[in-house]
Amino acid sequence: MATDFAKIQEEIKQITAEIAEVDAIELKDDVEFAEMGIDSMMALEIAAAIEKKYKVVIPEEDIPTLRSLQNVYQLLETLLKK
Amino acid sequence: MHESWDIQRISEILPQRYPFLFIDKVLEVNELQGKIVCVKNVTINDYFFQGHFPEKPIMPGVLIIEAMAQASILFFSVIKPHIAQKKPDYYLGKVEAKFIAPVKAGDQLIIEVRKLKVLDTAGIVSATAKVDGKTVTQAKITFGVKVDDE
Repeated sequence: MATDFAKIQEEIKQITAEIAEVDAIELKDDVEFAEMGIDSMMALEIAAAIEKKYKVVIPEEDIPTLRSLQNVYQLLETLLKK
Repeated sequence: MHESWDIQRISEILPQRYPFLFIDKVLEVNELQGKIVCVKNVTINDYFFQGHFPEKPIMPGVLIIEAMAQASILFFSVIKPHIAQKKPDYYLGKVEAKFIAPVKAGDQLIIEVRKLKVLDTAGIVSATAKVDGKTVTQAKITFGVKVDDE
């Protein structure tokens, strides 16, 4: 299962890179979105793209807590376990 | 569910004014279903027809998107009144649009905006503009909302 989630992490990073229009290599898991130029509008787009791809529902109140890729991985991991 | 809104009530929320106010009336707001339905009456007196185009009056597609964006602001003000009353700046982030048919002088544009995701600081909506029941433009709009004192 661990490798599966590693693949998902890579996919999320790719989705984020596309929305933020940067190279995936430039995105760091533990750096805050704001520092990487990702604003709340982009974070919302990332959440919407993840919902569509993984058929999950991210509650609106959880979206403001997505401040880094690490946060996104953790939230999705929890949602996928449900 | 709300009653229809006239231009005065619309102007209290939208910062846009002539010649850039593209909503004439709100027909329906349904918070439960997450949607708003607005009207823009397109007339030969609309200023943009002077140049777009003198011989062939067609409403510019970007202005249809602007009308959709204005309908989105009105919708936002209904579901987030505590933010709207602070008179924030609304700005467009991303638009994915499909223009299906031209909008001409004399058409009544019915704009329906549906909520996909709306937070205090940003939102994603899907918008459809119809004339005589037929879809003329479809768009997915991402917008940001910024309160000045933040």
